[in-house]
Formats: sequence, structure tokens, C-alpha cells
Amino acid sequence: MRLRWARGRGTIETMTGPRASEWLGLDDAGNPIARVIHLDGPMHTERGVFRAVALDAEQKLIRLLPLPPNDGDWLAVIGGRVVGRAAAPLAAVRRVEAAL
Amino acid sequence: MSSTPLDKIRNIGITAHIDAGKTTTTERILYYTGVSHRIGEVHDGNTTTDYMDQERERGITITSAAVTCEWKDYRINIIDTPGHIDFNIEVNRSLRVLDGAIFIIEGVAGVQPQSETNWRLADRYNVPRVIFINKLDRTGADFYRAFDTLKEKLDIVALPLQLPIGIEDKFIGVVDLVEMKAIVWEGGELGAKFHDEPIPADMLEKAKEHRQTLLDTALAVDDAGMEEYFEKGDVSVETLKRAIKTGTITGAFRPVLCGTAFKNKGVQPLLDAVLDYLPSPIDVPGIKVAVEEGEEEGDHQRRIKADPSAPFAGLAFKIINDKYGTLTFVRVYAGTLKSGDTVMNTTKGEKERIGRMFQMHADKRAEIKEVIAGDIAAFVGLKDTGTGDTLAAAEDPVVLERMAFPVPVIDISVEPKTKDSVEKMTLALQKLAGEDPSLRLKTDQETGQTILSGMGELHLEIIIDRLKREYGVEANIGAPQVAYRETIARSHTETYTHKKQSGGSGQYAEVKIIFEPLERNQGVVFENKVVGGSVPKEYIPAVEKGIRVQADTGVLAGFQTVDFKYTLVDGKYHDVDSSALAFEIAAKACFREGMKKANPIILEPIMDVEITTPQDHVGDVVGDLNRRRGMIQNQESAGSTVTVRALVPLKEMFGYISHLRSMTKGRASFTMQFHHYEPVPRNIADEIMAKSA
Repeated sequence: MRLRWARGRGTIETMTGPRASEWLGLDDAGNPIARVIHLDGPMHTERGVFRAVALDAEQKLIRLLPLPPNDGDWLAVIGGRVVGRAAAPLAAVRRVEAAL
Repeated sequence: MSSTPLDKIRNIGITAHIDAGKTTTTERILYYTGVSHRIGEVHDGNTTTDYMDQERERGITITSAAVTCEWKDYRINIIDTPGHIDFNIEVNRSLRVLDGAIFIIEGVAGVQPQSETNWRLADRYNVPRVIFINKLDRTGADFYRAFDTLKEKLDIVALPLQLPIGIEDKFIGVVDLVEMKAIVWEGGELGAKFHDEPIPADMLEKAKEHRQTLLDTALAVDDAGMEEYFEKGDVSVETLKRAIKTGTITGAFRPVLCGTAFKNKGVQPLLDAVLDYLPSPIDVPGIKVAVEEGEEEGDHQRRIKADPSAPFAGLAFKIINDKYGTLTFVRVYAGTLKSGDTVMNTTKGEKERIGRMFQMHADKRAEIKEVIAGDIAAFVGLKDTGTGDTLAAAEDPVVLERMAFPVPVIDISVEPKTKDSVEKMTLALQKLAGEDPSLRLKTDQETGQTILSGMGELHLEIIIDRLKREYGVEANIGAPQVAYRETIARSHTETYTHKKQSGGSGQYAEVKIIFEPLERNQGVVFENKVVGGSVPKEYIPAVEKGIRVQADTGVLAGFQTVDFKYTLVDGKYHDVDSSALAFEIAAKACFREGMKKANPIILEPIMDVEITTPQDHVGDVVGDLNRRRGMIQNQESAGSTVTVRALVPLKEMFGYISHLRSMTKGRASFTMQFHHYEPVPRNIADEIMAKSA
């Protein structure tokens, strides 16, 4: 299923300036039903070092991922469910669309 | 220099492992851009950039040559660099001043040791690169295998922009994944004629798959491109090229093209890639200004941007002496300079007047009256400027980051055949050492012999040959010697009193120094921890100097002592009899006594050796390496050949090539480069000390 995609809220600082760290997948009514999100981190906690990502818009649902393995910086999320991980946002978009 | 706008200038280097085809590719570039009207060949000894006699005779590049060409209204300044590790200094200094590079790897062997070394050098200077997988016409060539070695050995995100159509003698062209078309060469007119056609049906699926990877990877650095993709389901060629350029400059990924320069296929699209993806002088962040002593390096460092109207700033990166005098190659980073102007050599604090200026084309030159930001030119008339010095306008006397030079690992003694040539030889060697920062000259304090230190046997052989051909000095050469070093393995505190007070003005100085070992490559570090003036301030530099001078002659076998720290913690002085000389003498003696008690050891250079041999000789090669104290690192098979990689002491590698040839009937080849210094085994240390006694 194809979605319309738009830039989300976050940004990543890069050598060439800020870049979107979230892309929202919108249904026909314009409601966000999926997202691809760049993993933050590494984040140091008492339990170890993780990469982190908020799975929902309110940032209530946080997922921690161990370091390594590093199998891609972008997480494909539908609702609060992670459906895949990819090295590039476009590839993560395809994972979302394939899972819908 | 010319009226080419800055955004249409490309200052690039061509770099690779030996024999990967750098000079051959450069020749094609010069031919297709109309600079030359015939194609020179390395094996014929008539290429443009290999202009030295030794280069033409041996079929290798020794010195980096600068050439300029025009392609589609752009000016491309190219530096063709050597591949042999002995001439790595040329690659080092070229990469330092370039904005981008074509990195060539061979389609049969893929990434080789020297490719890795040069890649890391380019990383050090953040040089954006496009990769060209060459020699796809060769038997055994495999684009995909060579491509895999990029990821495995260089650990990079390699991004193919092309796929080969056919391979070996059936290689006819490439699939262009950016424009989704095939480019096919027609065979005649030395590759000048080619045409576009649809992608062959049997490659279409594969091409689509790779284009999707290209889009995924490239658009990840370009949000506007992502939006265009979401809107249209694809992006324009212009958008895709913009994203590829961004990713290339930031190093997010490395674009990969392919072809065979020797068979004249793939070079024109490579030139297009230079324009499309490598940066102009204004696309790069600018060169960093050196930090003040004690200040940390980092993002806060000021950068000099390419701006013709700013105060002048340039870096001298190469010096050559020829019959017309000394030519100093300068990369201009900012400002405009005319012949006759005066600038500051801010590294040395001297004024320099610019005589004539030239745009170089290998060994030929065209006089120019002005240089501007972004240019590379050669200046005549500079008196005190050496490699790595900054030239800057007096109103903004910046010092640019200096260049790092490799450590020589081989010594030879050299003496003129006739006594009346002594002065001539010394002057000539000084000039050669002035051109080449990886060449060091010193006099053995005990024998009085002149010692030449270089990067390898070939490096020194070429220097001796140049001494004869260019300066007319015939010399007797000693056998090559390993450049051993000495260091210490434990800490020791030594106190030494120098006292000579028998009548007349005397000498008195006492120093207490802690000697401590440092990690490899840390050099010699001095710290002054004297409190309460037990050694007066004015004598501290004499202590520092005394140790540094004495460290050149180690306590075990007279080799330079490295990787240790000495801390002056206490001492005594006499109001009348103490002097700087007395403290220097005391420091030297303290070093000699103290180092003996700090568990001194001898270090030897260990080389990273890679041997490519037919399968049936692997056993002989490995057995031989073991006998040479080699540590096998890995073995990899590719078709019927095996590549063995090992770490071997340099001492065991002298004359190895002839032994390898006889062992494998001439079918194996090897390369080696310096890897690290390591303590020598006890029995060998004893041998070395016995020889030096």
C-alpha cells in the first residue's frame, strides 16, 4: 500500500546542515499512520549503551536498541509496531509500505 | 591565472596502488580534453606526466606531476601521483592540497595494500573521492568482486553509479545508473567515439535494483530530493546528481565508476563525474589555520575560504630544482597575487618576493602574471620557503596546518668516488633532501660518513641515480641498513652532577631527571617540574637541548632514541661556576647513565607485506616468510592466485624480490610498506650491538 510521505518533526545535524530525522506516512485522509525514524544515540544508561527512538508522536513509547549490531540507522514503524530497519530512509519507507 | 569562475575549477589527484593505471588514465584524460594529440603509454615510456628519465625507463611514476586540462568549460588541475610506497610522500603532499581525487582500483585484484594506505591518507585530509574500477578488459577482471573489496577492506559505503556491460575481452561499455542508459564505445579513434543506447534487456532487472540502491543511498542526504521522489515516484537527473555530490563531499558514500583506461573505455564519463560530483574550491569548508601551541585541535579552528578578494594565503607543497632554479609549487587558498608582490613566509617569519609564476604542465611551463584563490602554480625566486610552509599577506599572517611526513626506514652510507666531489655531493644531496621531506641526510658522528635515510631501497636507488644524472656526482654506496631505533622499557630517575672546579672559572651543574617510556610514535617529550629555582630558568633550555642532542645516539648501539619522556624534577647550581654549557653537559651525561638503567631496547621496523602468488607456490612462499620471522596475517584466494599478507621485519626483506622470483619462477609479485616499530628479539639485538661496538 502506497502512502503519502511528509517530513516529520525531528532533525539531525549533518555537515551540510539540518536534515529530517522523521518522515510521516499519511493515509488518504492525511492522518499519520506510519513513520520512519532515525535512531538517536548512542545513549549511555546504567544498563549499558543503547540507541533510542520514540515510536509515537508524543514520545511516550521509547524503544532502546542495543549496540551493536548495527543493521541500519532507520526504523520503520506502523503505529507503535516496528516492522523493519534499514540503512536509508527511503528503504525504510519501502519496508513500511510492504508491511501494510 | 585564468578567467574560469571558481565554481568551474576542479583541483584533483589521481591516486592508487602501483600499476592500477593512474598514469594511463591521465594520458586518456589529456587526449580526450585536447591537451595532447596522441596517447602516450607507460610501457612505451612516452607519457606526459612520467617525464623523468627514471620514470620512463622503469615504467613507474616517481614524482607527482601537475597538468591542467579543460572539459566542458571547466578547468581541471590534475596531479598524477606515484603508486609505489617508497614515494608515498608525493601522494601525501598532493592529497593535502587537493579538493578531490579519483581513486583507481584494479578490476582483477580489487583493493590492494597501497590502495588502503592512500585511502587512509585521503581520509586524514578529508578529500572527497570518486572510485574508478579499472582494467575490466583484463583476464580475471570482476567488477563485483573488486567492488566487494571496497566494502571489506576500506569499510566504506560504496555506491555504484555504473555497471559494466560485458567483462574481460567482451567489455564494451557501461550502464549509467543515474540516467538509466547504456554507454557503448565504438572501438575506433582511441575511444573518442561512443554512443548512448537502451540498457541491454538481460541487464535491465539488475540495473533497476542497483538504481533503487542508488536512490536510497543518495536521497538519504537530500531532503528536497526525498520529497521530489515521494511526489513523482522518481527524481530528475539534476536532483540525483546534486544528492550524489552532497554525499561525495561529506563522505556519506563513495560513488563508483568503471572502465578500462588502457582500452579507452569509461574515461569520458569519469571526467563528467569529476565535474558533477567532486567539489570546486568553494564547495569545500576551507583549509584550517594551525592552532597555537598548547591549544587543542577541533571544529573551533579558523578556516580560510576560497575568496579571491581576501588577503593572500597559500601553502608550499612541493619544491623541485632544475636547470632554471628552484620551483616552489603553491596551492593558493585565498586572495590574489601578482609576480613581483611580496608576501610573508609565516611559518619562518621571513619576507619572500615572488619572482616569476608558472602554470605547470608536467615538465613544461607557461608563464602567468597572476594567481587567485583555487589555483595551483609554481613560483620562482623564493629563498627560504620549504615544503609545508605557509605564504600569507602581511595584513593577515596566518599559518596553515602543516603537513605530516613519513619516517624513513632505510639508511645507506654514501661517499663520492673522488675526493674533489665531496662539496658537490653534499650540495646536491642537500638540494634533493630539500625537495623530498621523506629523505634525511646526516653525518655519522663516529665514522664521518654521510648517511642517507629514505623510505625504501627503490627510493634511495632513484636518489643515487639522480645524483649521478642531474648533478654529475658518482658515488660509492654502502649496503642498505635498517633504520633501527632505541627506546626504554621502564622508568628510571637519574641524578648527575657535572663538576669541574679545579682552578680558574669552573663548571658546575646538577640535574635530576625522570626517564619514562612512551607509547610508539610519541617521539620525545620534555617536561620541566623544577620548583623553587633549584635549576634557574635560563638553564632549562640547555637541559632540554642536551637530552635531545644526546638522544640521537642511543646507549645500546648508537641509534636514535625515541618514544620516551624526560622530566627535569630537581638540580643544583653554583652562582659563579654554573652556565648553560655546564647544564647541557650534565643533561647529556645524565641521559647516558640514566638510559642504561631504564631497560633500553632496540626497535626494528616491521613491514606489511603482501605477496600475490600462483596457488602451487603458496607453500613455498609461506614457509619462506616463516623463516624470515614473518607473521602471516591472512591468505585469500582469487581464481588461481593467492594473496598472502604478513608482517615481516624489514631486516629480513632486503633482496626479497629476487628470491621470490626464483622461488616462483617469476610468477609471484609483492608489495610492502612500513607498518610499525617493534622490539627486536634478544639474539638479534646482541648481533646489532656487537656490530656497532
